[in-house]
Amino acid sequence: MRRGLLTLLVIVALAALAGAPTAQPAPIKVGLAAAVSGGSAASGEAIKRGLQIAIDEVNARGGLLGGRKLELVVRDDEGNPQKGVTIARELVERERVAAVFGGLHTTVALAQVPVWHELATPYVGTWAAGTNITRNGKKPNFVFRVSANDDEVDKFLVRYAAERLKRGRPGLLLENTAWGQSNEAGLTKWFGERSVKAVGIEKFNWNDPDMSPQLLRLKQGGADVVMLVANAPEGAQVVKSKAKVGWDVPIVSHWGISGGRFAELTGELSEGVVFVQTYSFFGKQNARGEAVLKALRDRYGVKGPEDVTAPVGTANAYDALHLVALAIEQAKSTDGAKVRDALEELKAEYAGLIKTYKHPFTSEQHDALTERDYIMVVWKGGKIVPVQ
Amino acid sequence: MTPAAAWLVVAAAAAVVPLLTANTYYLYLAMTIGILVVVAGGLNVLAGLTGQISLGHAGLYAIGAYTAALAATRLGLGFWTALPLAVVVTAIIGAAVALAALRLSGPYLAMVTIAFGIIVEGALVEWVALTGGPGGIFDIPKPRLAGVPLALSRYYWLVAAAAALALLLTRNLARSAWGRALVAVRDSELAAESLGLFAYRVRTTAFTLSAAFAGAGGALFAFLNGYLSPDSFTLQTSILFLLTVLFGGLGTVAGPLVGAVALVLLPELMHQFVEYRLILYGSLLLLSVYFLPRGVVGALARRRGVGSAAAGAAAAGGSPGPRPGRGPGPPPATAAPAAAGPRGGDFVERAHRPEHTEAGGGPAVLHAVVLQLTGVTKSFGGVRALDGVTLAVRAGTIHSLIGPNGAGKTTLVNLVSGFDRPDGGTIELFGEPVGGRSAVRIARRGLARTFQTPQLFEELAVLDNVLVAATGPRLGWLAAALAGAGGDAAATRARADDALAAVGLGEWAATPAADLPFGHRRRLEIARALAAGARVLMLDEPAAGLAPAEIEALDALLSRLRAAGLTVVLIEHHVELVMAISDRVTVLDEGRVIAEGAPAAVQRDPAVLAAYLGTPA
Amino acid sequence: MLVQLAVSGLALGSMYGLVALGYHMTWATSRTLNFSQGHVVMVGAVVAYAAHVAGGWPLAAAVAVTLLAAAAFGLVVERIAVRPFFRAGSPVWLLATIALGIIVENVAMLAFGKDARAFPSALALKPVFVLGAGVYPQELLLPVVGVALMGATQLFYHRTFYGRQLKAVAWDSEAAGLMGIDVPRAVAVSYALSSVLAGVAGLLLAPLLNVSPTMGTLIGLKAFAVAIIGGLTSAAGIVVAGFLYGLVEALVAGYVSTGAREIVGFAVVIAMLIVRPWGLGGARPARRV
Repeated sequence: MRRGLLTLLVIVALAALAGAPTAQPAPIKVGLAAAVSGGSAASGEAIKRGLQIAIDEVNARGGLLGGRKLELVVRDDEGNPQKGVTIARELVERERVAAVFGGLHTTVALAQVPVWHELATPYVGTWAAGTNITRNGKKPNFVFRVSANDDEVDKFLVRYAAERLKRGRPGLLLENTAWGQSNEAGLTKWFGERSVKAVGIEKFNWNDPDMSPQLLRLKQGGADVVMLVANAPEGAQVVKSKAKVGWDVPIVSHWGISGGRFAELTGELSEGVVFVQTYSFFGKQNARGEAVLKALRDRYGVKGPEDVTAPVGTANAYDALHLVALAIEQAKSTDGAKVRDALEELKAEYAGLIKTYKHPFTSEQHDALTERDYIMVVWKGGKIVPVQ
Repeated sequence: MTPAAAWLVVAAAAAVVPLLTANTYYLYLAMTIGILVVVAGGLNVLAGLTGQISLGHAGLYAIGAYTAALAATRLGLGFWTALPLAVVVTAIIGAAVALAALRLSGPYLAMVTIAFGIIVEGALVEWVALTGGPGGIFDIPKPRLAGVPLALSRYYWLVAAAAALALLLTRNLARSAWGRALVAVRDSELAAESLGLFAYRVRTTAFTLSAAFAGAGGALFAFLNGYLSPDSFTLQTSILFLLTVLFGGLGTVAGPLVGAVALVLLPELMHQFVEYRLILYGSLLLLSVYFLPRGVVGALARRRGVGSAAAGAAAAGGSPGPRPGRGPGPPPATAAPAAAGPRGGDFVERAHRPEHTEAGGGPAVLHAVVLQLTGVTKSFGGVRALDGVTLAVRAGTIHSLIGPNGAGKTTLVNLVSGFDRPDGGTIELFGEPVGGRSAVRIARRGLARTFQTPQLFEELAVLDNVLVAATGPRLGWLAAALAGAGGDAAATRARADDALAAVGLGEWAATPAADLPFGHRRRLEIARALAAGARVLMLDEPAAGLAPAEIEALDALLSRLRAAGLTVVLIEHHVELVMAISDRVTVLDEGRVIAEGAPAAVQRDPAVLAAYLGTPA
Repeated sequence: MLVQLAVSGLALGSMYGLVALGYHMTWATSRTLNFSQGHVVMVGAVVAYAAHVAGGWPLAAAVAVTLLAAAAFGLVVERIAVRPFFRAGSPVWLLATIALGIIVENVAMLAFGKDARAFPSALALKPVFVLGAGVYPQELLLPVVGVALMGATQLFYHRTFYGRQLKAVAWDSEAAGLMGIDVPRAVAVSYALSSVLAGVAGLLLAPLLNVSPTMGTLIGLKAFAVAIIGGLTSAAGIVVAGFLYGLVEALVAGYVSTGAREIVGFAVVIAMLIVRPWGLGGARPARRV
C-alpha cells in the first residue's frame, strides 16, 4: 500500500515536472484574421498554409528573440466586417499577438483599420488589394501589405492593354463589391491618364450564372478588350458567356480568377486569358519556391503547381511572415509600436519567394510589392505561364 | 431566487463589466450582445407575442444603421439626434411594410419579409450615391456627450442601458392590455375579430414597434463600428435575429437576453470548430423548434411548475404571455369574485352592461325585433347554401335554429356575424343594416358569436380570455402600455370577473385556456361574449359533446341570460334542449326556412318531421 | 440582344418553374413547404458531380443515383422538419426546413469543398446560333425537360389513382384519412417527388452554373417567388410564372441594369402579394369558419 502510494507520487511528480513550463521561453503569437469558412474559405486556407510554412522555417532555425517559437492563432472573419472587428480585438487583447495577417476581403480589412491603430498592433495584409487599406491617411500607419495594391495593379493592367495589346477602347467588367469598386476607380484613373475612356462599365454579382447582357452591351459599345475583375467562378461564367455570344476580344484580368479552379471551370476557353499575379508556382522556381512547394506537398498533400489553390495567398503570406519575423528580431521586442517602426526601417535584406526585399516599407509606402514586382501570366493548355 | 432578484443580479453584473476589464474585446462582445438584445426584443414582440415570423429584420436594422450613419456623416448630426431619427425612419418604413404585408400570414408573410430584406440589401449595394455602395460608409464619428467623444467603456453603458430599456418596454407591453390583445390575435384571429379587435391593426402596430427597435439597434451598431457595409445586413443576419429569439424563448421577457448571450458567445468559445459554425447554427435552430418550443427560458420556467393554475398566479419572470389580469390599480375588493358557482341573474346583468358598445345605451325593449334577415341568399360555387331566408329575432328571447346538416345554419351565423358576406337580401341588427360589414364592426355593435369549435386564446389564462373581451378595442395608448401604465381599469376587471362567475368558471380564472376541460371551453366562449357586452348572442352548437349534467347547466345558464334581457340565437342539434328552452324555433332545410313558430308547433309540423326529426314508426 | 436575353431568360425560368412546382406539390398535399428546396437543387448537382465526374460513373447511372438521393433527402426533410409540426398548425416547419437547408449547405461545403467545380457536358461546350443569338444546347434542353416534367406531374395528379389520392389529402386530410388514404405516407411521397424535381433541375443546371455548395440559395428563393406569383395552389400558374419571371429578370438585367435584377424581381413579388396573394392561377381562398 505504501509502495503503491509512493509510486503514484513519483509518477505525479514526474508528470508535473514534464508538463511544467521549463526553461522553454514563451511563444510569440501572430494572428491570422481571414475568411476560413464560407464561400471564400479557400483563400483563408491558402494564406494559413503560407504563414505556417514560413513559421515552421523560422522555428526550425531556433525561433526569435532568444529561442521563442512562433505560434499562429487563426480566427475566422466570415467575410463580415463586424466579425472582423471582433476578432481583431480578440487577437490583440486576449491572445496578445505581436502582429496580425489579413485575408481576402477588402471590406473587412477596411473595417479593421481603426482597430489596429487604436490597439497599436501592426497588421500585414496578404491578399485584400483595396487601395485605401494601406493608404489610409493615418500617422503612424500600422497597416502594411505584402500583396497587390489595386491602384498599382490597375496601372499595370492598363499599361498592358494599351501598350502591349495596343487596345484603345476598353470595356470594364467588375464584380459588384468593394473590391470591384476599388478597381473601377483605379482603372478609370489610369486609362484617364492616357486620355482613354472606358466604353462601358459593367457589373455582376457573386454566383451570377450568365454575363451575356453585360458583354453584349460592351460589344455593342465597340469595346476591343475586356478588363476583368472577378473571382474564379464568376470569371469562368464571363468567359463562357463571351464564347456563347460569339465575341472574340482579349480579356485582361486582375488576379481574382486564380483563386479557384478557373481552368477546370472553363476548359479550353481559358486559353489566352491574361492576368496579373505576384507569384506563380508554375515554371522554374527559385530555392524558396522549391522549398515551399515541397512543404506544401509534405504537409498538405499538394501534388504540384496545378493543385495549389489560390497561390498568391500562400506566396504573399509566406513572405509577409518572414518580413515580420525580421522586424521582430530587429526591434528586439514584440511591442506593437516598435515592430511597426522596425518594419518601416527594415535593415536586413530578405531574399524572399516573390522577390528580394530591400527596405520594403517606408513611412510613405506601406505596400511591399509594386507594379514592378507583378508578373503577367496567361493560361496556356491549362497551365499558367508567364507572358513573353 | 425570485425573478426580481435575478434581474437585479444581471443588471448589476452588466453594469460593472467596464469596471472589471479594459479589454476592448470583451467590451465589444458585450456591446454586440446588447445591440442584439435590442433588436431581438423588438422581434420578440412580433414573433413571440404576435406570432408573425419575419425573415427581413436585417433590412430594418440596415435602415436604422444607415440612417444614423448618414445623419452623422452627411448632415453632421450628433448621436443624440441621429438615434431618434433612425428609430423614426425605420418605424415609418416598418409601418409601410406591415400595412402591405400583414393581411398575409405563414409562408406568404415570410416571403414578403424575405423580399423586403433582399431589396434593402440590393439597394444598399446599388444606390452608391446614398449608401456608398459595396464600400459602405466610413468614419462615422463617435458619439459625444457634452462635447467630448465617448470612450468605448462609456459607450458600453449607453448600449447596456438601451438593452435594459428594450427588455423593460417589452415586459411592460406583455403585461398590458395591448400585449394581451397581441396574443389574442395570434391565438385566434377569428375570436379576436368576433370581440371587436381589428387583427390587422394590432399586427401592424406590433410590426411597427419591432421595426422601431430594429432601427435603434441599427443606429447603435453604426456608432459602435464607425463603419458600415452591406455585408452586415444579409438574409443570414435576419435568420440570426430570429434564432436569438427562438432559442432564448419566444414571448418570454428574458428570452432575447439569453438568446443573445448564447449566440454571441458560442462562436467565441468554439474556435477550433469554426468550420462547423453554420452547421451549429442550423442545428440550434432545429433543436430549438424541436425541443425548446418555448426556448431556454420557457423550458426552465416550465420545469418550475408554472403551468398549474395555482402557481400561475405567482408566476416566475420567465412565464410566457401576460399574467392573469395584473395591472396597476385594481383595488383588492374586486379580487373577490373568484368564488365558486353562479350567483344568479345580477352577475349576468352587470356583466353585459351595454355602455361600451357602439350601438349606444338603453335597455333592450322586450320583444322588439333586434335581428332581422330578409330574403338572404348565399351560394358557394354552384351550391345554394341559403335561399331567400327571412327571419326575425326578438329581444329577450331564445330563438333556436335547427335543421339537418348542410342546411345552412352555420352559414347564416357567419353572414350575420360578418365572417362572410351575403349574396342577396338584407340583414339588420338593432335596425341598422349590417350585411357585408366586417365582423369587427358587427361585434362592436353588440353581437357576439361562438364557434362550432371553440376558438379560445389558448395561451392566455381563462381570466385573460375574458379580459380581452371586456377590454375590446379600447386598448389605450401604446406608449402608456410600454411605459407600464397599460393595465386594466377596475371596471373592466370587475366586468370580466362577473362574466366568469356568471358561467361558473370563477375558480378557473388562472388556468391557461388550453388546459380547460372540454365542457368548460364553450362556457368560456359564452363568458367572453358576456364580458364584451353583447346584447345578442349567437351560439353555434354549444351543447355538442357535453354530458347530460353539463347540458342541464347550459339550460340554466341560457335561462339566466334570457332573464337578464339578452337575446340568444341558438343553433343546435340537441332537440330536447331546443324544445325545452326556446321561445321560438326556425327550421332550415337546404337553405330554406321550412317551418317557424313555437317549439311545440314546430315539433309537430309534418315538413319538419319529414326533413329532420323523423316520423314516428 | 433581345433574342439572347429571351432565350437565356426562358431557359433559366423553366428551371425556376420546375423547382417551384416542387413547392406546389408539397403545399398542395400538406399546406407546408420545403424552404430548403433550393439546397435540394444543389444536392442534385453535387451528387451528380460526385458520381459522374469524380466517380467516373456513366451518366445514366449518375442520374439515377441523383434522383434517388434527392428523393431520400426529401423524405428526410419531411420526417425531421415537417411531420412533427404538421398538426401544430403553426408555421414552425418553415424555420425547421430553413435550418435543414443551412445544415446541408454547410455539410456540402465540408464534404464537397468550397470551390466551384465544373460539370462537363457535351451540350455546354459549343454554342449554337438561334436567330442571331448564341445559346448553349444545354440551355435549350432546360425548357424542354422542364415542360415535359411539368406535364408529367400534372398527368400524375389528374390521371393516376395515386396522384388523385394526393390531391384528396390536400383538400381534407382528415377525410382522406378516413377514406383509407395513408396521409403521412402521402405527405412523405409529395416531399420525395418535390425533391426529385429539384434534383433534376440541379442536374440540368450543373453544366451551366458550375457545381458549388452555395449554388442553391438564390435559386430556391426565386423559385419560391415564382411559386407565389403563379399561385401556390396552381400548377399551371406556376409554369407560366416561371417563364415570365426568368424572362423579366433577363430583360431587366439586359436593358436596365444587372444590379436592378433582384430588386425588381422581388419588388414584383411583394406587389403580387399585396394585390393578389393567391397568385396568377390561384383562387381567393374562402375563410373557413
